[in-house]
Order: sequence, then C-alpha cells, then structure tokens
Amino acid sequence: AASPAPRSARAPSLPESTAEAAGAGRAARGVYRGPERRGGGGVAAAWGMMMDGSAAGTSNGGSGADGDAARRNNTRMPKYSKFTQQELPACKPILTPKWVVSVFFLVGVVFVPVGVVSLLAAQDVVEIIDRYDHACVPPNMTDNKLAYIKNDTISKECTRILTVTKEMKQPIYVYYQLDNFYQNHRRYVKSRNDAQLRDYKKSNTTTSCDPERFTADGKPIVPCGLIAWSLFNDTYSFTRGKENLTVNKKDISWKSDREHKFAKNVYPSNFQNGALIGGKKLNSSIPLSEQEDLIVWMRTAALPTFRKLYGRIYVDLKANDTITVRLSNNYNTYSFGGKKKLVLSTATWLGGKNDFLGFAYLIVGGLCIFLAFAFTLLYLIKPRKLGDHNYLSWNRHPAGR
Amino acid sequence: MFWNLTVQGSANLWFAAFQMENLFSTARGADNVIYERLADGNYDIKKTSREHLEQFGSAGLRTLCLAYRDLSMDQYKSWNEKFVQAKSSLRDRDKKLDEVAELIEKDLILIGCTAIEDKLQEGVPACIETLSAAGIKIWVLTGDKMETAINIAYACSLVNNDTKQFIISSETDTIREAEDRGDPVEIARVIKESVKQSLRSYLEEARRSLSNTPERKLAFIIDGRCLMYALDPALRVNLLGLSLICHSVVCCRVSPLQKAQVTSLVRKGARKITLSIGDGANDVSMIQAAHVGIGISGQEGMQAVMASDFAIAQFRYLTDLLLVHGRWSYLRLCKVITYFFYKNLTFTLTQFWFTFQTGFSGQRFYDDWFQSLYNVIFTALPVIMVGLFDKDVSASLSKKYPQLYQEGIRNTFFKWKVIAVWGFFAFYQSIVFYYFTAAASQHGHGSSGKILGQWDVSTMAFTCVVVTVNLRLLMSCNSITRWHYFSVAGSIAAWFLFIFIYSAIMTSFDRQENVYFVIYVLMSTFFFYLTLILVPVIALFGDFLYLSLQRWLFPYDYQVVQEMHKDDPHEYSMIRLPERSHLSPEEARSYAISMLPRENSKHTGFAFDSPGYESFFASQQGVCVPHKPWDVARRASMKQQRQQPQRTGRS
Repeated sequence: AASPAPRSARAPSLPESTAEAAGAGRAARGVYRGPERRGGGGVAAAWGMMMDGSAAGTSNGGSGADGDAARRNNTRMPKYSKFTQQELPACKPILTPKWVVSVFFLVGVVFVPVGVVSLLAAQDVVEIIDRYDHACVPPNMTDNKLAYIKNDTISKECTRILTVTKEMKQPIYVYYQLDNFYQNHRRYVKSRNDAQLRDYKKSNTTTSCDPERFTADGKPIVPCGLIAWSLFNDTYSFTRGKENLTVNKKDISWKSDREHKFAKNVYPSNFQNGALIGGKKLNSSIPLSEQEDLIVWMRTAALPTFRKLYGRIYVDLKANDTITVRLSNNYNTYSFGGKKKLVLSTATWLGGKNDFLGFAYLIVGGLCIFLAFAFTLLYLIKPRKLGDHNYLSWNRHPAGR
Repeated sequence: MFWNLTVQGSANLWFAAFQMENLFSTARGADNVIYERLADGNYDIKKTSREHLEQFGSAGLRTLCLAYRDLSMDQYKSWNEKFVQAKSSLRDRDKKLDEVAELIEKDLILIGCTAIEDKLQEGVPACIETLSAAGIKIWVLTGDKMETAINIAYACSLVNNDTKQFIISSETDTIREAEDRGDPVEIARVIKESVKQSLRSYLEEARRSLSNTPERKLAFIIDGRCLMYALDPALRVNLLGLSLICHSVVCCRVSPLQKAQVTSLVRKGARKITLSIGDGANDVSMIQAAHVGIGISGQEGMQAVMASDFAIAQFRYLTDLLLVHGRWSYLRLCKVITYFFYKNLTFTLTQFWFTFQTGFSGQRFYDDWFQSLYNVIFTALPVIMVGLFDKDVSASLSKKYPQLYQEGIRNTFFKWKVIAVWGFFAFYQSIVFYYFTAAASQHGHGSSGKILGQWDVSTMAFTCVVVTVNLRLLMSCNSITRWHYFSVAGSIAAWFLFIFIYSAIMTSFDRQENVYFVIYVLMSTFFFYLTLILVPVIALFGDFLYLSLQRWLFPYDYQVVQEMHKDDPHEYSMIRLPERSHLSPEEARSYAISMLPRENSKHTGFAFDSPGYESFFASQQGVCVPHKPWDVARRASMKQQRQQPQRTGRS
C-alpha cells in the first residue's frame, strides 16, 4: 500500500493486511467517494463512467490505496452543471380536467365577445355590388363578346343604375372586383422589375419582364412587364340625380409603395405602344409615384377573385338614393371568362364587409364553451381517478408481454 | 534460456514453454475442449478430474483444465515451420492457424483442473430483475460450465424453483458412451440426434405449458456442444421457437463465435432488437453482432469496451442506461422526428393549397427567404431543446416503474398511427393557415379601405405558421425548462425581428422586393392582430382536443405515472446513487467475507457470478455464513438437474 493514510483513516480498526485485502471489495465503493467529496453528487460519477470507459477502468481497477490516491488527482469526471446533468428545474404540465375545461372556457369567454364585436362591425358596412361585364355588352353582341371588346369602333360606354339600400356614410369606397383573374400566376407575378420602377437610372433594366420588355423597335418599356401592361382600364363616374359625385383617387395606394417602390422621377415611356394593347395607357408626363391606379394594380392579389380600390366618394348617401354610374367597359375579361363588378362600400375600423373573422371568432368561441361543458360532462360520466394505477397497461393485462 | 509463445488456438489459449532440449507444451481450456484432446489412458485422473469439475461447477466456481504434452525438438521445429507459414498466410489465416494448432493440440496429458472463485458484481441480480420487469428478455451466454451457469441464473433471479427448466446437455450417458467408443463421427451423430429429439419434445412441452399455465416461467438451458448442432439450419427454427417461448435462456460453455451466432440468430431470426453486454475479450464478437453492444470496463481488459457502442463501469448501470437514458432518448427521438415531419408538412401544405388558386402555375406562396429560414432559424432551436431535455417521468420513476420501458419495446411512440395523427393535424393546420388567412384578408382593411396583396397575405400566414408551430412544440413537451421558453419565445421573436429588418430594407440588387414594408402595412390593420390570435388558436384547437381526449380516455402508461406523482416535490438529483455509509446486513456479510485472508484476488470484473461462493469458501475457512433459503433450494435443484439430462438422454 503506497499511501495507507486515507484508507486507515476510514477503516481504523482494520489491520494493514486485511485493509489491503479489502481493496478489491472496496474498490467499487471507492468510486463513489470521489464525487461526494467534491460535493457534486453521485450522478456525475455514474455518468463519468458510463461515458468514459477508460476512466472507469482506472477507478474500478481499484487496487486499494493506490487507486484512491490516483483518483483524486486524475479524475475525468466532467464538471457538474444542471444543464449537462439534465437537472434543470422544469415545469411539468399535465392536461388535467381542470386545465382542459378552464382553457376551453377561457378561449370561449374571450372569443365570443371579440366575435360579436367584429361581426357587428362587419354588419355596419353597407355594400352595393353590381356586376356589369355581362350587362354592358350590347344585346346584339352577347353571342360574341370577344368581338365586341376587341372592336375599337364600338362605344364601350355603359350606364348602370344603382339603388342605395341603406344609408352610407362618407367616405364611400369604390372598388372594382375581378373574378377568375389570376394575378397570382407565376409567370404574371414575376413579370415586373422593381429596380426600374424606383430608379430612373435603371429604366433600361427590364430583366424578368418578359414578354413585355422592349417595344418592337427595341426600346425598353417603362413600366415593363405583364402586370403593368395589363393595367385595368375601366373608368367610372357617378351622379346622384343631377349632382356629380366626384371620385377622389388620391391616396388609394399604400404609402410605402408610393414613396419607395415607385419613384418620383420615373416617367412612363414606350408604354402600351405595341400592337397588342393590354390595358390602360399612362400619361407619360406624370411620374410613376403619382400613377396610383398602377401602384394599386401592381400590388398583386393573392387570390383569383380580388378587389382593388378605385377611389373614394366623400358624400353621404341616403337609403333609396339612385346613383347613375357611367362606365367605360374597356377591360377584356371576356377572353378568359372573368367577371367584373363594381363595388360601393363603406368601411369600419375593421375594414370592409368581411364577416369571416367575426363568424370565425364566434363559432370557435361558442365551440370552446360547448366543449368546456362537454368535457365537464365527460369527466362526470366517465370518471377516472387521476393517476389510478389500474390504468397502467401492465395492471390492465397482467400477463401482458 | 526460457521463452514462451502464446497462440490463440482453439483451446482458448495455449502456450509452449521450451527449456533447451526438454520441450513440452501446456494447454489450458474448458473441460470439454481439453477432454477431446486428451491422449488415451489415465482414466483415473480423468474420472477424478471430471468429478471435481462437476463439484466445483455446482459450487458456482469457474473451472479450467490443464494439460501438457511432451514434444521433441524435431517435432517442434517441423510444427513451427507450419505455424509460421500459417501465421503469415494472407488468406484464411484464422482457419489455417486453427488447423496448425490442431496438429499439436492432441494427445495431451491431463494435469488437473483449477477452480476460480469469481464474485458477482454488486447489484447484478437486482438489475436483471428490473430489466426482466421492463419486458427485456435475458439470455445468458457464458463460457462457464452448465452447473455454474445455472447457479448464476439462480443468483440473477432468471431461474427459480418454480421455473420449468428445459436442459439440453452433452453430458448425458448416451453421449458419454459414444464418447468412450471414441468414434468422432458416431459422437456427432449421437449428439445431433439427441439434440434434435429434445428440441422437438421441449418445444411441444413448452407450447403446452404456455397455453395451459401461461404464468409459469420457463427456462431453456443448453451447452455449447449441443448448441453447435442446434444452430444447424435444420434445427434452428425449433431452437428459436423454443427460446422465444422461454422466459430466460442460458447457454453455457459457448465459444465466442457461438455467442455471436446466437445473437444474430435472435437478431435476424426473431427480428428483435438485441443488446449484448460483456466485459471480456471473448464477448467482443457478440457485442459486435448485436444491435447495441455494451462493454463493461474492468479487470478483463479493454477489448469489450473498445468494441462496444456504450461502455459502462458496472453491470448494474445497465438499468440506468436502458431504463432512464435509453428510454428518454427513445422518447426524444420519436418526438423530434414526428415533430420534424409535422412542422415541415404543415408549412409545405399551405404552399400546396395556394397552388390550387394560382392556376397550378407553381407560384410560391412565401418569399424565398421565409422558406429558407423556416427550418434554419424560426423553428430550429425549440425542437433541439426537446431533443435535449424532454423527460416524461423522472429518472427515479423510470426505474421505479421499469414496465414503462415496454412502451419502447412496443414502439408505442413511433407507430404509423402516431405519425398519422401528426400528419392529420399538420394537414388540418395547413388548411387553417391558408384558407382562414386568405378568407380573412379579403376586402378592404382598416378605415382607409386599402386592399392587401399576395405578399401581405403570405406574410400573415407565415407569421401564423411560425407562432403555431412553436406553440405546438410547447404543447407536446412533458417538461418545460427555461430553455424551452427561451427558445420558443426566441424563435417567434427571431421571426419578427427578421421581418422587421427584411421588409425595411431595399437593396440595389436586381431582385423583387415583394415584401417591402409588408409587415408595417399589416401591423397597421386590426386584421393582423385578430388573425394572429384567431388562426393559431383554431390551428391548435384540434391538437388540444385530441390530447385532452387521448389523455383522459386512453392514457399512456407514462401519463398515468405522471399523474400519480404530479404532486411529488421536484427531484433534481434523481440518479444519485445509494449512500454507502450504512451497510445492509447482506453487504456486511459480503464485507466480512471479503476480509478473509485467502481472498485477495483482485477479481471483481466478471459480469456473472454467483454469491454462492461466499458460503463455499467461508465454510472451508470455518467462517459460518448463514445459508440463504435460495442457496439451499438451489443445491437441491442441482441434484435434480444432474439426473435430468440422463433421463432425456435415454428418451
């Protein structure tokens, strides 16, 4: 025994020889002493050995005092931390009946009022929708709408009479709605060049604008691309009796688009000059940042049915007012079976007449309250003692293997 | 002049010692190996040694036979040439070495036998009992004699007095008679026949017992020589069938190769997950043949440890390794994998639904960067936290209810059903994300009446996806540490931080600035906030409903255990090993025995051994050690066993 001191200190009553002999028997126990002395707990020791066989080999080799002394200096026990030892304090949530019922109830209690408020807001909105693409085709052309819309010599003027169903407070928003128009088509969405729109120095940049990059004689088109080319070009004007209802077309686009994406010093050029005219022509003396119809149009819609803001009317309309709409039905939706609608709508804090959110909140809230009761009932009808050991699988099927 | 040469031969290890002209080689090995190679004659010493061997074996000692053979220098030289040749051959070296060894390992003269006492490691019986309760089937593959092996099985509670034992041994009268006649072909035929018959009759008996008295434990014990024939392709099916019916299987006197063969028999034949644990060099092949190989580091050298997947210091740590860390790892892996499926499915399906409304043009719903960073940043960290920290029940409870391990054996958490449930909810959520956001975004928003575009809708949907997917993770956690909160909140915050910066910058590169200012536009509307609350709640509604119903009506075992112990104080140091300051009576006894002067062998490393030696040596030393009831019972059963093989031999 090289250093009997610590050993005899622990087992003073043992004679030297037996102490040595006991080395083998003790070696295993000695392994745990090390960490205890360090105050780290036995865990680390067990793990140190599990992960590192060679360290364990030396400590388990345990030839008495030698091993003990060596162990003290030469341990590979990892430093103790709650993180590595997986002993971080943790919250252990259990879905007890109490929790389930209260979560459902809480969601219900919060959602139902929100739903009611949203629904009321949506109900306040008055909306007049008029589909005119069909009605504006002259009766003799209904069989051949495409010929009608492509023929420039036929007047596209059209008059629609709208009746206000309920009182509409100003501002009244004028939207046009297109159906079956895939503004989200992959080829369509990418057919634009943002750099060109916001920087006059890059007006020649027309990458990704195919097939509307250059005119026939090779000049770059500004704004290039299919989106701009297909700009909606129906126009509306409204009268109530004799009174002209001016449509204010200022601030119909998002401010960020106006100020950052469309530059003040970029002017349309070579636009709609080709043989195939897609839509509205732009006044080339007005910078893009003020072409709000274009800006609105170029914020492409997510769904094939979409509305775009056309303008606002700052006049209150009373119930049963008749409004005469003079529109020019220029835009060709006939070739792809699209629909065109004119929408007059008011708005609340939540926006237009979209009761989806309100109904969704109300239904989910209602369902949650119902489920809160249903679960209460379930817990009463089919009670189960929490932590009933009869539910353990090996107690349910004792033979279970 | 003295040197010795060691060769790894068929008889475990043999070495030749040369002293100038007087040459002799000695061999040591298991009795069956040595006896085969003995020269004729000397029946007295053979018989005495055999008796001794049996006696030692019943006492649970490890036995070895020693033999020697005189060699002349010429014999040695001619042999050595062949040996060197074999040693340096490039092809089939092992086989050739065996052949050469065979040349010299014959006509040995028995010297005698040795018996070594070999202490069982601490806690082995308890460990094996726990593992059995966990539904793990334990096979003991040992080089020990059958008597020793059965003793060990008793000590480890693998076999008790109620257990019905099926023993196939080569130590039967019929086989001995054949051996005495000395014709190797005849011996092989006799052994094969007897193995075949006993396997068939045992299999029938075991099946009958299983159907009549299913609660009765069955044990199957076979020795290496018979195993060699039982592993024959023709008999293998019966062997496997019988072994799988029996609760425990003991194979004794098996060679390292046979250990590996048995392991792969179970692995391939029964398509079960196998784990091998051993401490010696002869366990290496078995450790490598199993799915999971565990080496015990100890006195027997490092070969087992180096060949293993995991190394532990003592056998009993296997409980911790399997029941605690193995089980946690299984749970975590299942959770992480299914969650990965879920989060990618739910995200990708929203894109899929969008495709239906773009004229199938393949327009992407989300901005490229959203897609790229989704898995990298916005949903990466929380799932790692689950992989690191999730615990269903604490370590001490894992060991207290070893049956919980069966959930892993049955693969409860990674069945098709589980994946299908996740898949279904991913499907449901993706519908909610896409259609609800799209529907809610229709028409004007806010009092300005302005309209949202495609990128506004997709950013809204993506925000909902990130929030929901991260919250869903929190819902599936069994234990939530501060790192969970941190990572979940951090992931959601990272998304907002990213989108705030991303939509505020414009670069001079030629790219589409689709999401420029989108988040600010969105956040200026009530729609954003109402949707942000609505959509995740509806998306998680289904999961919550499912979890509540599942927990109440069809609780998993771990959930019941959680409920049983939900009011327990937090145990932070759960793996702490038992205190050693107070010795239990049993420990005190083993301590007293370890004090015996003769017992200063350093042997502690063997994995399997019987505490029965204590009384064996103690009685020789005149120390009175009280017999335990099972000691007595075991002795009684040993006598029976010695007769049993004879009976089967005759049948």
